[in-house]
Amino acid sequence: MHYVELHARSAFSFLRAASSPEALAAEAARLQLPALALCDRDGVHGAVRLYMAAREAGVRPLVGCELTMEDGSVVPVLVASPAGYRRLCALLTTAHLRAAKGEGRVTWRELAEDNGDLIALTGDAEGPVRRLWRARGAAAAAEAGARLADIFGPDRLFVEIQRQFLPDDEAENEFLVDWARARRLPLLATNGVVQATPAAGGVLDVFTCLREHTTLDAAGRRLARNRERHLKEARAMGALFADLPEAVHNTVRLAERLQFTLADFGYRFPDYAVPAGETQESYLRQMTWRGAQARYGALTDPVRRQLERELELICRLGFSGYFLIVWDLCEFARRQGILVQGRGSAANSAVCYSLGITAVDPIGSRLLFERFLSEGRTDWPDIDLDLPSAERREEVIQEVYRRYGRQGAAMTANVITFRGRSTMREVGKVFGLPDDVLDRFSRLFHGGDFPHTLELTEQLKLAGLAGGHPRLPALLETCRQVRGLPRHLGQHSGGMVLSAGRLSQFVPLENARMPGRSVLQWDKTDCEDMGMVKIDLLGLGMMAVLQDTLEICARRGRPVDLARLPKDDPATFQLIQAADTIGMFQIESRAQIATLPRMKPETFYDLVIEVAIIRPGPIHGDAVNPYLERRAGRQPVTYPDERARPILERTLGVILFQEQILRLAMEVGGFSAAEAGEFRRAIGFTRSPERLDRMKDKFAAAMKRNGVGDEAAAFILKSIASFALYGFPESHAISFALIAYASAWLKTHRTAEFYASLLNCQPMGFYSPATLVQDARRHGIRTLPACVQTSDAACRVDADDTVRLGLGSVHGLRAGAVAGLLAARRDRPFASLADFLRRTGFNAAERRALAGAGALNALAGHRRAALWEVEAVGEGDELFRRAVAEDAPVSSPLAKMSHLERLQADYVHLSLTTGAHPMKLLRAGLPGLWPADRLREGRTGERVQIGGAVITRQRPGTAKGVCFITLEDETGFANAIVWPKLFEKARLVISLEPALLITGRLQNEQGVIHVIAEQIAALPGAGLPEQASHDFH
Amino acid sequence: MNYAVLRVDEFALHALIRSDPALAARPVAIIAGEGRKAAVTEVSPEATGVTAGLAVTLAMARCPGIILRTRDPAAEVEAHRLLLAAAFTLSPRVEFTGAGCCTADLQGGDPVRTEAQMRRSLTELARAGLAARIGAGATPLLADYAARQADRLLIVTDAREFLRPLPLAFAAPLPGHAEIVRNWGLRTLGDLMALSKAEVGLRLGAEGVSLWERAAGESVRVLRLVEPVKTFVADWAYEPPVESIEPLFFRLRRFAERLALELRGAGFAAERLGLTLRLEDETEYRREFRLPEPGADVDSWLRVLHAHLETVRTAARVAGVRLVATPTRPAQRQDGLFDTGLRDPAAFWENLARLAALVGDDRVGTPWPADTHEPDVFTLERPLESVPAPANPPVHPPRGQALRRFRPPWPVRVQCVDERPVGLKGEFAGGAVRAARGPWRGGGGWWKPGEWAVEIWHVELAAGGIYQLAHAAGEWRIEGILD
Repeated sequence: MHYVELHARSAFSFLRAASSPEALAAEAARLQLPALALCDRDGVHGAVRLYMAAREAGVRPLVGCELTMEDGSVVPVLVASPAGYRRLCALLTTAHLRAAKGEGRVTWRELAEDNGDLIALTGDAEGPVRRLWRARGAAAAAEAGARLADIFGPDRLFVEIQRQFLPDDEAENEFLVDWARARRLPLLATNGVVQATPAAGGVLDVFTCLREHTTLDAAGRRLARNRERHLKEARAMGALFADLPEAVHNTVRLAERLQFTLADFGYRFPDYAVPAGETQESYLRQMTWRGAQARYGALTDPVRRQLERELELICRLGFSGYFLIVWDLCEFARRQGILVQGRGSAANSAVCYSLGITAVDPIGSRLLFERFLSEGRTDWPDIDLDLPSAERREEVIQEVYRRYGRQGAAMTANVITFRGRSTMREVGKVFGLPDDVLDRFSRLFHGGDFPHTLELTEQLKLAGLAGGHPRLPALLETCRQVRGLPRHLGQHSGGMVLSAGRLSQFVPLENARMPGRSVLQWDKTDCEDMGMVKIDLLGLGMMAVLQDTLEICARRGRPVDLARLPKDDPATFQLIQAADTIGMFQIESRAQIATLPRMKPETFYDLVIEVAIIRPGPIHGDAVNPYLERRAGRQPVTYPDERARPILERTLGVILFQEQILRLAMEVGGFSAAEAGEFRRAIGFTRSPERLDRMKDKFAAAMKRNGVGDEAAAFILKSIASFALYGFPESHAISFALIAYASAWLKTHRTAEFYASLLNCQPMGFYSPATLVQDARRHGIRTLPACVQTSDAACRVDADDTVRLGLGSVHGLRAGAVAGLLAARRDRPFASLADFLRRTGFNAAERRALAGAGALNALAGHRRAALWEVEAVGEGDELFRRAVAEDAPVSSPLAKMSHLERLQADYVHLSLTTGAHPMKLLRAGLPGLWPADRLREGRTGERVQIGGAVITRQRPGTAKGVCFITLEDETGFANAIVWPKLFEKARLVISLEPALLITGRLQNEQGVIHVIAEQIAALPGAGLPEQASHDFH
Repeated sequence: MNYAVLRVDEFALHALIRSDPALAARPVAIIAGEGRKAAVTEVSPEATGVTAGLAVTLAMARCPGIILRTRDPAAEVEAHRLLLAAAFTLSPRVEFTGAGCCTADLQGGDPVRTEAQMRRSLTELARAGLAARIGAGATPLLADYAARQADRLLIVTDAREFLRPLPLAFAAPLPGHAEIVRNWGLRTLGDLMALSKAEVGLRLGAEGVSLWERAAGESVRVLRLVEPVKTFVADWAYEPPVESIEPLFFRLRRFAERLALELRGAGFAAERLGLTLRLEDETEYRREFRLPEPGADVDSWLRVLHAHLETVRTAARVAGVRLVATPTRPAQRQDGLFDTGLRDPAAFWENLARLAALVGDDRVGTPWPADTHEPDVFTLERPLESVPAPANPPVHPPRGQALRRFRPPWPVRVQCVDERPVGLKGEFAGGAVRAARGPWRGGGGWWKPGEWAVEIWHVELAAGGIYQLAHAAGEWRIEGILD
């Protein structure tokens, strides 16, 4: 006997099932089921994953869906043909786009109007028939069934029967069998699968609780009655339905009718509308050659040859329209004055460079085009565009919607999964753990914290859950099972998918939580797997800073052309070599700052390497130290194989870039470009380690055939494995280095403008505004406080050494009220505080904030006087009292604020101070403390004590439990290294104290200064403001 | 000196430490709030670096050995009664002002004797484990400020000079106003008094004027008097129950200290002491002691109690203790002439309460199916006041025969073929199985120790009878008969 399970839900039904599509596929294969239909609730979110996994496991992946109807009943439908699939997508899209996220319902009328090639089941207990049978009896159920029969007809409606070892099964099934026979409808046995195996039953209960916002103890009968709704083999289903063999037999017959799989879903990228008389190919050629003239000037032979080669391949592979569409979007951005720059492997293409999509000349940089596009490649090339974050990027996204319509374009989804800390929090809540335990757990064990020095049991113990807690074993096991399963659907930060015709025919679309955005039901890997084209429109904080800086520079008459920045500016490199990189793109992190004094970049390409080398890939692959030692001449430059010399020469024999892997694969392993591309994708595909292992085996065999020695092969394979943990393509590193260099140049030569823009674009980057202002001070930039008489809404440059804080920096001011102030001031300056209060529309809290921040000092004399006067104003015009009625000068009986009071008020209202660093006030009371800028005078091994506000705490996965802490004082930054043992001992103090006192041994080598912590304590100094910190990211 | 205020700062903490000697001289903090908002509200001086308002996690970080507790209402009630008893020794007109604070109206009393009594009260309170302070002044407000400022006892004579340096928080500004005056840089009552009352009123409205008056000590009010106690009872429940005499005796000492003070305040002496020990096995041990001489001397009471308790051996741990002092002038009580006894419908509830006292609260009520799939699990609900209206008939009436459950179920051995029962062997039923239906499977509670999983069958025996068989935890049982 054969059996096909035609009604299975995966965890992509979001809290309504407990197993991933991959787990279902694997179990179906183990049970020798020939096919499996995935019917997730209101979507096909898991269809691609099932398709990929089932295809590999030898199971035919069928597509279906449970449709939630307008009356709340749920109708499972199965897709018989591509046309049926398009109808399903359209039905789901219509339902989702007219409702709030997650509330889409299909109307009976819509289902009746367009259901061709969809085959319906009567459903399980939530189905229209059984639901009514339970609530209102046989007649009502028969009526509901009749409606389904009218819609789908007798050949496309199956009466679904399930036997799940429940006492009520039989009465219900008796009715269904009688009714089916009376209507001459076929029976269909299913197990209404919600989990791959019985072991996942606990997860299902937990999901039920999460959905119902309850706990396991309180959920009662809402939990599953047993764990029988799992995949079962043909023999078991045959035994269960021994009295109704046709119900099992029909599963095979129906599966044969379901001819559709995602292999046939028929997606096509849209054509670009070219001028009359042009084809896409001819137009692309025309635009490329025109752009090349502008980029390269006189076209040399190598440039011509490369462009011809690329154009020929692009046209032959049918990608011309894609390039034109991306080019046109870049043109749109430029017309709107929006900075745009392509990143990623597109920078390997001279065509992209010529079209102005990327800013890197791949020919001059000797970049490998095959990393971007190669012969035999079937998937689409990947072009990512960096745009300024926030509103400017949204303008480009909305332009895409405008051009292709809400059903022609959508953002890719981002599947939010259960991960570390959130898993424990959610599952713990369902298990009834007290809130304070979960809260302590969350605060003690940050998401980005390195988790492996303490067992989960110990972590929970530290959070207050006793080790012998009776629920602990089940909790730990459930957390393990839940981890990685989807929680809900979000939207990708910038990936947009377009299609020829309506995108909603190929994949259902939903509303995003953000107004004006729609999201498709697949994530970016699904889209890639299905050959859909994605354009990443990524918001980059630093692009916004660059844009803002350029605008300020232009306004001040010191314009800068980013394209014409000298790439060898000594002052810029001097700053970078000194690791004075706060605020710079990509090279401002603690790890980068610790590397720069050793690396000492001297050229632009050094910066490219600097950007690429501090990544988990090279760090794990032990590439960092060898490179730096070789660069410093302390280690000889060697190559694993002489054939690798030309490939690894620029990186001193160390593998740093994905292109190097590709070239090694081709030139050392003898792979074709397409094979090398496949190898590269396997490296980047984290979902399937098996896929990478297979490719590594293939590569190892190829190297052996090519006579590569065992040691060399092992070295190459280890370096490759590390790239599974994120490594950059060289072209991407160059694109990022361009932005990094631009930010460094601007910090060097347009310092005030750069800091003003950094403050305007917060939040972004590693450091808080407070740290940026202190850093600016160390670069000779004065930051003046916000002032109602002089400040704009944003920060402004008043002189080459002076930045004026914007009124937007004051917390709690409404943008409209600030705009009203600026408009009133444009009419005429405020003559007095009374005049200001009369002509502006700030509420009481805003008035207090302005006074507390010192923004009214120009009118009131000092903050206290302003605070005194603003209280004399009531809410509303008629309540204006003395202060406004009389234009008398302000006379306050209150004393001026002390230095400490001003500091505290600054942090309350601005989260920064334009005055001295808080540590300056404490210094006198801490005589043994080393100022950060004096550490460089210390000797390695010397015992020192440092103290300051914690501005970063990090335990990166690459550091094996070591914690890095950066303290800030009035002279700069001091870095401390905390070994795992001390970290666990002082975890609470390190994690929670805003300011620390660290005693330890100084390490001062090659200009890199650290304190190896031996003792850690809270910094005494109550009353000092708390500073923001960049923790565990 | 018209009013006195008796005050215990960090009252919840002191009440807790008073009730649990193990906490004395240890770093202890009272915490409140849930989740992220959990914070320290009161803290002992031994908890170095921890202050009120600090997040719990931060408190744990700063003082690793800190003992975190939530408020103990029972301990606070005991401590309040003690404080009130002390206040009644100063005056019969006493107000319960708030947590850890009582105000006594001293008007009409002799100042010299009152001051001496205040000092005695402080000593007695300290002996009873409560570190109180007393302030006295012309108004309740001044007395309150004095109590806050006192080392032990402070009597205010020059109000203006006394008020000037006091913290502004003494005047209890509204939260919004507190922030405003803090931003104005005002720290003391004198700072606020230095401002014009009218200007403050202009900015802070009527409440601002009131604040200014409170700062100037100008505010007067009428006390809300409490009745002196008429019954002299102390009761405590142990969690967990105790099995040695020390904690029991510690508690009795605390009781005695309070009851003696209450008796003295009311002008009584005890002639008998009634001791009740509630045991963990839900029995009680009672004993009444006639004191050799009526009095309110703590030590003599404790001698009587101690001598007796040393000889007592109880069958179970002590879950609660109660001490009743019978005053020498007992209150008169007139029995009702028309009490109707059990004929009153209310007697039903009384009977029920008695039943509950006999068999336990959790064993009385109307059985109701529990919200679980686990078979035959019920909860006991409070019986309904009236008979409910009949529910709509079920859409699908139960089919087949009703199950008559055997309680407890009958153990049985079952022979299976192809995982289906074919024969039963048990003490009360057995034989070949003629027909079997099932299985029906259920399970739950996997997340806690009470996990259950069961497989149910209905079997018809060749000898007659249809039984419900259950297979759980490797054992078979007959749960009932279908008839």
